[in-house]
Amino acid sequence: MPQLNPSPWFAILVFSWLVFLTLVIPKILQHIFLNDPLLRNLDNPLMEPWDWPWF
Amino acid sequence: MILSFFDQFVSPTLLEVPLIALALSLPWILYPKPIPRWLNNRLITLQGWFINRFTQQIFQPLSLQGHKWAALLTSLMIFLITSNLLGLLPYTFTPTTQLSLNMGFAVPLWLATVIIGMRNQPTHALGHLLPEGTPILLIPALIIIETISLFIRPLALGVRLTANLTAGHLLIQLIATAAFVLLPLMPTVATLTSALLVLLTLLEIAVAMIQAYVFVLLLSLYLQENV
Repeated sequence: MPQLNPSPWFAILVFSWLVFLTLVIPKILQHIFLNDPLLRNLDNPLMEPWDWPWF
Repeated sequence: MILSFFDQFVSPTLLEVPLIALALSLPWILYPKPIPRWLNNRLITLQGWFINRFTQQIFQPLSLQGHKWAALLTSLMIFLITSNLLGLLPYTFTPTTQLSLNMGFAVPLWLATVIIGMRNQPTHALGHLLPEGTPILLIPALIIIETISLFIRPLALGVRLTANLTAGHLLIQLIATAAFVLLPLMPTVATLTSALLVLLTLLEIAVAMIQAYVFVLLLSLYLQENV
């Protein structure tokens, strides 16, 4: 089974962690959510439905 | 050189360049950097919704201490689900079929949860080794069994992902070869085999997503026990 082949084992491990730490995590952390969570009470009506502008 | 069906899992090289480096580093182009706007474009919005809802879903049962792991586990989910799904395209290489990668993620993260449990609340963490209400005579046997099951967790985590994806890819290759070989001989059977191949590919898409989710979910469960 080629997955048990020891020669690229460590290289794959190190490289995948490198990519994970340097590329993936910053990309996920860049998604910031600007709006505070909305606390809905009885006075606060439901929102209007929206869609992307089609022009 | 005799080719076997397992050769698709050899880490591919082209002119001594390891292509797994490309398979690992290029998929992140699909996740553009979001500029904070009130209304983003569709792709960024959908990715943001996914990240937000996934984080909420996974971390809801965890205590506040466990929420420190949010960036790590959500990023791991994105990493795994992207690698798994992109590997289903023709002529791509799936890095998550490599045992080294999966064990490389499973063992350190599992070990981190165990060490956190042992350092912060050792009695509580060790208490997981003995389920409540066991008969006194069974206690030694059960502690041994629970310790073995504790140490098998990282192995199972890594091998589960590897085996599921490897088996899926192998099946696709086998059935595709069968359909191709049967085409001049028995075209009807070849058509049925192709229909089977379509269904199998749909299954593999589901498996790719489910296995990524299961990996991260189990890690969050191990964290829940220990945090």
